[in-house]
Amino acid sequence: MDLNLGGILTILLIIMGISLAFSIGANDETLATLIGAGVLKFNFALMAGGFAVGFGMVFLSQGVGKTVGADILGPGVNYSIFMLLAVLISSIAWLIIGSLAGIPLSSTHSTVGSIFGVLIIYSLFQGGVNPANALNYEKLLNVVLSWFLSPFFGLVITYFLFKILIKFFLSKLKGLNQIEKTERRMKWLLLISVLFAEIWVGANSAECVGIFYGLYNSGSISSTNYFVFVIICGIFVFLGIYFAGRFVIRNLASQMTNARPSEGLILQSSSSIILMIATFLALPISHSHVIVFCILGMNMVQDKEIDKKAVGKMAIYWFLTFPIAAILAGLIYFFFILGGLY
Amino acid sequence: MRMGVTEEDLEKLTIDELTHRFMDLVNESTLKLIEGIEHLTEENFEKFDENLNYVIETSKEIQIKKKFESKIFKSKLMFSKADRLKVFSKINDIKNIGEFLANKMLLYKVVFPDEEFKQEISTINSSLKIISLKITKAVKFIGSDLTKAHDTCEEIKDERRGMRKKEFDLLKRLWNYDMDYLSRTFLYLKELVEGIMMLADHIKNFSEYIQFLSTKYLIFR
Repeated sequence: MDLNLGGILTILLIIMGISLAFSIGANDETLATLIGAGVLKFNFALMAGGFAVGFGMVFLSQGVGKTVGADILGPGVNYSIFMLLAVLISSIAWLIIGSLAGIPLSSTHSTVGSIFGVLIIYSLFQGGVNPANALNYEKLLNVVLSWFLSPFFGLVITYFLFKILIKFFLSKLKGLNQIEKTERRMKWLLLISVLFAEIWVGANSAECVGIFYGLYNSGSISSTNYFVFVIICGIFVFLGIYFAGRFVIRNLASQMTNARPSEGLILQSSSSIILMIATFLALPISHSHVIVFCILGMNMVQDKEIDKKAVGKMAIYWFLTFPIAAILAGLIYFFFILGGLY
Repeated sequence: MRMGVTEEDLEKLTIDELTHRFMDLVNESTLKLIEGIEHLTEENFEKFDENLNYVIETSKEIQIKKKFESKIFKSKLMFSKADRLKVFSKINDIKNIGEFLANKMLLYKVVFPDEEFKQEISTINSSLKIISLKITKAVKFIGSDLTKAHDTCEEIKDERRGMRKKEFDLLKRLWNYDMDYLSRTFLYLKELVEGIMMLADHIKNFSEYIQFLSTKYLIFR
């Protein structure tokens, strides 16, 4: 590879993309339910979960990756390395702000918002493209619509699945032994549902695979290299869970020892159904938003009080993610253009 | 003299069965304590000593407790592990309070001031016996039927409510005797009534904990 500025930046983007895969694994909390319920030994659970996410990312993420890496762009528009760099810097910065504020922000929303900002600036100042043609607005609208619909359906599916489970099983249990026995059987279903959910978490990790699809689509890397990098991402998402995710997972799992496997089963099944449908439709959605609404659905069934203030605060950040990431990425790309880097 | 149980016998028992066996032993010990107090009112000191020495003997309980602790530590029980451990420790507290009371009562042989006092002691003893039998029943219902456990605990609370008034009547009677308030008899009887109150209060608190468990686990009913 010719090591000019473009080559160096391509390598930088590849490193950032792979780091993103590592951080997806490091922040994945799905396994906590499984470990909290004591279904598998800790290290074995991490390996199984990591393998499932990696599998999903390598074999099932192409549709979502293509949406972020190519289909969301307007006709004839391709990513440049600086555009992708601006997208990555902006989405990472916004995620760090979210972490400091203690809000589970969506990296998907952040990435798509950044793409939007970069493309608008590109069309206005660089590409000579009408902003109306800079993006595939139909696709973008579908993606944004899916962000509203996926949490809503997550809530609805959880609500009804849990109602059914209560009506036909849980309400019939009389003593602690019977409850324990039934829940013990459910832990195997929980194992299947968590691994299933992990596959679709990996498959819907658009922000990572999308970057490589963008590089491939713009001709910066070959199709063989694209697949090699996706496989490397799959390996790194596994490593992320195994080496870095273990701390978050252990911490959460220790708070979940009282949780019933039946509850985890419904939560994970509902969220994985939503993720699977979204992935088949090539729509990148936020797993954390879906799971938060699934928990709300479960709380509604149990008549638990919902902390409206906390939900409201979260919703504000969720709504702000897209425009702020767009503005941030737009500004970064604008400065690149000013410096002659486009 | 108590008969020991073999390690092999205990090994075969489940966590639930060990809890029941432990509860039965503690109940038996409480009933012996009550019977001992009855012997004291009858001034049958030999039988009184025999009963209270039975109460302070703990080898069998320790054997079951150790087996339970080792089993629950290794057990594959999921979410109920901590609750089961707490139930066991609350049963153990009944034993500890009974043992403490028995040790104190063995320090001296009291002669009751009058027949009314003896009768009132017998009345609260009967209530203590009822709640001890009911808590044993409630503990056994935890595994099989939490609704029944809850209802049995409600009966314990009702009985305890009635008992409390009698205990204060008894204390009032004691405080109004023409007696030296630093005398051994006064102090002994005061400790006796307060000890019974403490034991009954613990059983009542335990029954409330069982009701908490019923509410927690029967959330979907």
